[in-house]
Amino acid sequence: MASVAEQTEVRSAAGSPTLRVVSRRFGTLDVPVASVLHFAQGLVGFPRYRRYVVLDHRPGSPFKWMLSIDDPDLAFAVANPCELVADYDPPLPLATRLLGTAAEDLALFVLVTIPPDPTRMTVNLMAPVVVDLRTRQARQIVLDDPRCPPDHRVVREPAAAQP
Amino acid sequence: MLVLTRKVGESIRIGNDVTVQVLAIRGGQVRIGLTAPSDVRIFREEIFRAVEGQNQEARLADEDRLSGAAELWEEVGNGKRG
Repeated sequence: MASVAEQTEVRSAAGSPTLRVVSRRFGTLDVPVASVLHFAQGLVGFPRYRRYVVLDHRPGSPFKWMLSIDDPDLAFAVANPCELVADYDPPLPLATRLLGTAAEDLALFVLVTIPPDPTRMTVNLMAPVVVDLRTRQARQIVLDDPRCPPDHRVVREPAAAQP
Repeated sequence: MLVLTRKVGESIRIGNDVTVQVLAIRGGQVRIGLTAPSDVRIFREEIFRAVEGQNQEARLADEDRLSGAAELWEEVGNGKRG
């Protein structure tokens, strides 16, 4: 696949091919080639960045980083919406149709927007990322559904603060 | 930008399988019918812009902010989730 920037492909001690990614924020990472997510269309607004890797944040955290391999200074906080949003209803029929995959081979996560005040963090339910786990093909799908806003608040405001 | 003039009922074809038809014109509004393969997603421009804007906001998170979010999440846990 053509890409914006080619990283050195090296072999880890275990022998599986890895991509060396040098990032100011995350240091030097040897990413297993098999774990790379391929977005044929990029993310909405980021069409040129097509390869990402998902990195754990810290033990027990529902959050992860999704780091661009094509620009290692580009990273998004992501999370499993089923952990953060009560009664979340994943758009499985659409996702399976668009990716051409079965529901059991599908992973879904959402981008998290975190302003300086984390109580105001939001998740983008309008445009979840879906992944075919067999092929690692990924796509940010856009939903035109009033129940899926782009800025769903994760932490409920305290009752006293509500108008 | 390619500019074409069409009458009500006439169409435009984009590629082999996308058709844009002018269905009605009333006042300042145009009603448009679209046919495309099922894997082509069609939206009002505003929807797309909303997602693009949110993605731009999302990329601003750094380690400090994500750590703050993770700590907050640990505190409030599942009871308060929205």
